[in-house]
Amino acid sequence: MSNENSRKIGQHTWSYREGTIITGTILLLGFSIQAASGGTVLLIAGFPWNLISGIVFLGLLVLSFYFWHKHPIIKGLGSVKAALPAILGFTLLVLMMGFVKQDVESQNAMVKLFGLTHLVKTWPFILINLYLLILLGIVTMKRLTPFNLKNAGFFLNHFGLFLVLFSTALGSSDMQRLTMNCNENQIERKAVDASGKVVDLPLSIKLLNFNIDEFRPKITIVDNKTNKIVQNKGIDQLEMLDRDSFNIAQYHIKVEQFLAISAKVGDGFIKANEPGSAPSAKVTVTNLTDHTRLSGWIYSGSYANEPVTLKLNEHYSLVMLPAEPRKFSSSLNIQTQSGKNVTTTIEVNKPFSIDGWTIYQTSYNTEMGRWSELSVLELVRDPWLPLVYLGIFLMMAGAVFMFVFGKPKSGGTEHVA
Amino acid sequence: MWLDFPIYASIAILCWLAASGLFLTSGKKVMNQLAAGFSFAGTAFLLVFIAILWISIQRPPMRTLGETRLWYAVFLSGIGLVFYLRWKYKWLVSYSLGLAMVFLIINLNHPEAYDKTLMPALQSPWFIPHVIVYIFAYAILGASSLVALRNLFFVPTEKTIKGPIQMADNLVYLGFSCLTLGLLFGALWAKEAWGHYWTWDPKETWAFITWMFYLVYIHYRFRHPSEHKKAMAVLAVSFAILLICWFGVNYLPSAQNSVHIYSE
Repeated sequence: MSNENSRKIGQHTWSYREGTIITGTILLLGFSIQAASGGTVLLIAGFPWNLISGIVFLGLLVLSFYFWHKHPIIKGLGSVKAALPAILGFTLLVLMMGFVKQDVESQNAMVKLFGLTHLVKTWPFILINLYLLILLGIVTMKRLTPFNLKNAGFFLNHFGLFLVLFSTALGSSDMQRLTMNCNENQIERKAVDASGKVVDLPLSIKLLNFNIDEFRPKITIVDNKTNKIVQNKGIDQLEMLDRDSFNIAQYHIKVEQFLAISAKVGDGFIKANEPGSAPSAKVTVTNLTDHTRLSGWIYSGSYANEPVTLKLNEHYSLVMLPAEPRKFSSSLNIQTQSGKNVTTTIEVNKPFSIDGWTIYQTSYNTEMGRWSELSVLELVRDPWLPLVYLGIFLMMAGAVFMFVFGKPKSGGTEHVA
Repeated sequence: MWLDFPIYASIAILCWLAASGLFLTSGKKVMNQLAAGFSFAGTAFLLVFIAILWISIQRPPMRTLGETRLWYAVFLSGIGLVFYLRWKYKWLVSYSLGLAMVFLIINLNHPEAYDKTLMPALQSPWFIPHVIVYIFAYAILGASSLVALRNLFFVPTEKTIKGPIQMADNLVYLGFSCLTLGLLFGALWAKEAWGHYWTWDPKETWAFITWMFYLVYIHYRFRHPSEHKKAMAVLAVSFAILLICWFGVNYLPSAQNSVHIYSE
């Protein structure tokens, strides 16, 4: 251990030994309780118990600091000697999560016993979080008294993280994430949670229209025998049909006609707007090595119709792949119990919030693609979110502070109380 | 489109080789200026390539691992040059150029078919700041670990370590603040895109582990300003963790079905 002034104060001061013992005990205790309780999944109590215990926790933390801030234990808990082992202990748990796949059923008895597949809902995780909250709370108060503007960055980083950990932990049980399947022109009032439980909502949603905007489809060359895409130097030869002419491998492709939605009529395709219609193109293909030329239609196919390929020779065919979605959106009519009646459109990355619920566009019937009449929505209620965001914004401000001012001189210790 | 890359990459690599050679062999001011010019030219060529790529694929070139490696090479070489111009560390700029060349050579060996499609979840105002801030953080932290490795292997004395260790600290503080911003941008974006700011997706988990390792370095340096060796070892290990987060996650069994796996 290096230069350490606190050592001189008395024999009760902290070293890494105490810090490591506490973190180690917490982890050991946590895993023991977890194993003793048979590997159950822990959930933090919901409203109002989470709010009450949060207030009690904050009260105890502030009072302990107020009365005993000179006590070696409180001093120790506010030092790097406690923080470093705690950070390492937490890192150890998160490392386990990094290697063991989470949220799956494991067959391994040990993994099951210690809850390694759902670590965030286990005793060791919750206890180490609680311990980190205590450390962060104490160190924040320590740096705030007396207040010095030079400690602003320190305050923003530590208190921001405190708020994020505090509100995510307490808010976890008040958060609702539900899935709703909406069919066009039907009114839905129910949604299901992750465990499949049906929940009645204080609002109803009518899907007016589901709409997909697609990228132009890609075309490629496949091997007639294996049906696999022919690669060149390990790369798939895919070209998007957004130009009139281009080359793939030794072929020059000229697009004579492109139809975004079409149906087969005779030997060709015409524009069509009925369920199951899909993109098609009339192309002329020139083999650049022997200058032979042929032309014909290719069609991506859909849930209702087989694709149409263009046979180039006995080995290869030109095919059109199904178009990928550029954007999908649902136009919704929402009526709430509070009497609101709103018509709006949501899409991925553009959710809509009403009465504490946020409605997200999640999915659709991918097999039917653009003809899907089903829109899968996610409804999220997270009353603790403002507190989480406050923490996140404080941390962002702290990060900017850190970027601008860099490392404090002499490690920032001169402003420590 | 792809066919152009070997030309741009080769020119950039040649410029950087010339720059490193001049920096390492010559002490003359004129030669150093020439070296800085070569270093800048290499980065500029690569930026031109990125601009052309961006225009031709009609989306930000930040979707695949290879595309992120391009940005990494640009940032790392740029950071090396800025640190040279500001603090005159010739070795740092040479090392940075060396590492940037490694990433370009990886890309030369793994050619890509640049795909024009971009899934709806990635179409967000957060996409560019999230990726750029992260790759910038990775580049700065990469430079910091080059400093760490140098300090570990060249066994500096108490007197000569002062500059390099300050440099490591400065780089880590810059890099860590960007890492934090990238993480938080990601959280805010995730909330907009799929309803929750943090889901312990494997990429998120590893990003968090990376963040924790640099947090350990910062706290250790804060309390033990004279324990250089251990601090540098932590910094070197942290970069290994960062690389797992960046590339390794794609291959981890725990990460199948992650929303963050870069498309190859």
